Amino acid sequence: MKQKNIKHLYRRVGFGILPTDLDKLSKLKRKEVINSLFVASKKVTPLELDTFEIRSLMGDSYQVAKPNIQKIQKMSRESTLKLNRAWIERLTNPTELVREKMTLFWANHFVCEDNNYVYTENFHNTLRKHALGNFREFVVAISKQAAMTKYLNTKQNRKQKPNENFARELMELFTLGVGNYTEQDIKESAKAFTGYNHTMQGDFVFRKWAHDYGDKTFFGKTGNFDGEDIIDIILEKRRCAEYICEKVYRYFVNDTLNESHVSEMTDVFYKDYNIEKLMRFVCSSNWFYDEENIGTKIKSPIEFLVGIKTLVPIEFNNQKQLMYLQRLMGQVLLDPPNVAGWKGGQNWIDSNTIALRLKLPSLLLNSSYISKSKKGQTDAQLKERKQFFKKNYGKWFNVENDWGYFNKHFKNVAINELDSHVLACNISPNAQEYLNSLEKVSKQEYCIQLMSLPEYQMC
Amino acid sequence: MDRRKFLKQSSLGSSLFFVPSFVKAFENVVSSNLGYKRLVIIQLSGGNDGLNTIVPYQNDLYYKERPKLNVAKRDVLKLTDEVGLHPSLAPLNRLYDKGLLTIINNVGYPNPNRSHFRSMDIWQTAVDSNEYSQSGWIGRYLDHYGDAPYSAIQIDESLSLAMKGETKNAIATQDAKSLFNLSRDPYFKNLQNHKNDTHLSEHNLGYLYKAMIEAHSSAKYIFETSKTVSAKKEYPNNKFGKQLKTTAQFINSHLDTKVYYASLNGFDTHSNQLPTQKRLLSQYAEGVETFVQDLKLGGTFDDTLILTFSEFGRRVKQNASSGTDHGTANNLFIIGNQLRKPGLYNKMANLEDLDGNGDLKFEIDFRTIYATVLNKWLDVNDKKILNKSFEKLNFI
Repeated sequence: MKQKNIKHLYRRVGFGILPTDLDKLSKLKRKEVINSLFVASKKVTPLELDTFEIRSLMGDSYQVAKPNIQKIQKMSRESTLKLNRAWIERLTNPTELVREKMTLFWANHFVCEDNNYVYTENFHNTLRKHALGNFREFVVAISKQAAMTKYLNTKQNRKQKPNENFARELMELFTLGVGNYTEQDIKESAKAFTGYNHTMQGDFVFRKWAHDYGDKTFFGKTGNFDGEDIIDIILEKRRCAEYICEKVYRYFVNDTLNESHVSEMTDVFYKDYNIEKLMRFVCSSNWFYDEENIGTKIKSPIEFLVGIKTLVPIEFNNQKQLMYLQRLMGQVLLDPPNVAGWKGGQNWIDSNTIALRLKLPSLLLNSSYISKSKKGQTDAQLKERKQFFKKNYGKWFNVENDWGYFNKHFKNVAINELDSHVLACNISPNAQEYLNSLEKVSKQEYCIQLMSLPEYQMC
Repeated sequence: MDRRKFLKQSSLGSSLFFVPSFVKAFENVVSSNLGYKRLVIIQLSGGNDGLNTIVPYQNDLYYKERPKLNVAKRDVLKLTDEVGLHPSLAPLNRLYDKGLLTIINNVGYPNPNRSHFRSMDIWQTAVDSNEYSQSGWIGRYLDHYGDAPYSAIQIDESLSLAMKGETKNAIATQDAKSLFNLSRDPYFKNLQNHKNDTHLSEHNLGYLYKAMIEAHSSAKYIFETSKTVSAKKEYPNNKFGKQLKTTAQFINSHLDTKVYYASLNGFDTHSNQLPTQKRLLSQYAEGVETFVQDLKLGGTFDDTLILTFSEFGRRVKQNASSGTDHGTANNLFIIGNQLRKPGLYNKMANLEDLDGNGDLKFEIDFRTIYATVLNKWLDVNDKKILNKSFEKLNFI
């Protein structure tokens, strides 16, 4: 497979690729590269923390949990922070690369958050478990998650007093998209989800007394439907497959939809709603490697941060700083703005985030220093400036970084070939002209210069 | 230095920084469709207990529901025969006496949501409580009427959803210098070739370059314009006081900014409410009074309207931990020198007519207040921004 295409593939279904790995893969055929990616992602490795203590505090009923509620909430906040960090660690060089990238994708599709850590972790691992599985089973599992029944009020949805929140978002955001159902469809399907609830420990329970066993008329069909029936009826619509394919296309291929590509994808997905088959199809399509799809998307903050870490490992000594960075860049994992999720694309970028994102590689990796030595000159300022920064601002960027790792993996890359490994798109003429006027002091300094370009924001 | 002059100078003095033509393009729009009126929004996060803020001190029901959590009749700062302010609000009382404060009671929305996140989301996006939006009301104001990122500034480290539009976003800055410092590395300036900005087209990379140039130009504009002006009053030494001080500095330096956004956190008083709310309300009132005085001295108060809201009020009945739980409708403050109806805009909520949860029933949809402010104060088409037509009130 062509190196250029491997890099593109790995940037989209992962967070980039090191030159050493690239060398190995370039001997294989495209089919083999793609196959090995998906085979490696067969396994599911949940992300789990020790929840024994918090589970004990919760007990098996609200009566047990009630006196402990403040403690449960405090521990939940702490554990959620830990999960946030662990998730970012997981995204950096994972063994199940595609599964992890898909988990990140689904987290902005089935958007949810909760203040109970046990429910949060369950929900999170449900995303991972089904990330490449069957979409029908995925939706059913999501509808029964404790965190979701809380987030969209399904547990308040009773025969006597229906709550339509979940039914509405199921169709608007999770399966069909706005405008593909009526208000009456929402009312009727909400009845089918009555009685959904969960135990204190977070397992799904169906409360018969709260369920509406009457007939519901939904999308022209009438019957005593339950929640799963409703999901089946929704999935019968080709629009559902198309809606998911559109979202996958925007995330993995291009912000702008290509109708014929999406239509091909929908043909594949509508057959059996198999997510892995769909993703294999996308990665195998020739159009996936078209020039217009390479290096033309804006990285999400997490893609940006993890992308940096993939080339040069960074350890945050202070978890708060990692959270703070996510907040400043506008994407805190496990803390979405609302059920509609992050808008993505150009919406990641505003004056604050662009200024930070351009400066961040040098801040995290190079004591804020971007070399500006003219061609043919050594960088006299370098050492002094870095020391000054460390002394004065070091505690705000309390990180360890491993340039040794970078040097090892980039050993066989010539300095003037570095850009093709670091950047996903061509350097614009003006920036190229400026870079040509500068001395390439070292691979590290040149890498920082490249990472400080707007071009580095692309993937 | 005024904006026009700044743009001219910076584009001529291009050794320092270059402003490409698309940034200059909005120069012409500025004076034509925007007046000089500006809006300051203050968000009280956590759900301020409105009933202990504006107190119905003659209402027996109030004292009955809050045996341990009431504001005693003798402590209330009396506004009328029935209604008084929390004793921490003496500075607000002075604004009231001068006719600079309108209190709107019972503000909320249909089918109220009692989650902080969700209710704040509803207030910030101004949609119905069963809809979700990825853009905020000020963000959509920018989409239609904003000319530069600094048309709206949030005095914070990052932007709230309220300040994010479909296509445009406001700017967030805690002080004029931090953003400027972040963007001033000469490396970034040198990436732009001032002879040629044609490659800055609409595609994503072009968009990033535009954003980079706009960020620097905005940060530099804010920094250079505001650095000559300093506060004329001593502000309370707390985070909120600092936010208002920065806001006043920006306003008094005549930044071309239409909307400012500040916030005060910590109102989620489930337990031990009395001391917490006392402290927060006094921070709020002292800060705001200083702010008003500072603007008056700067000659900018006449053109400034200050709107204070919280995502919900709290339950009428106190809870078992000397606090109150999440409620619904709440009071909202409008402060300015051009109020049509200073004082109490409407009656207090009826404590005998509560909803099934024991919460107040709202009377005024907060979006009618937004619509009024957009239409009558900022002089724009509110329907375009709120995506719906709302009745206009007559407080301004």
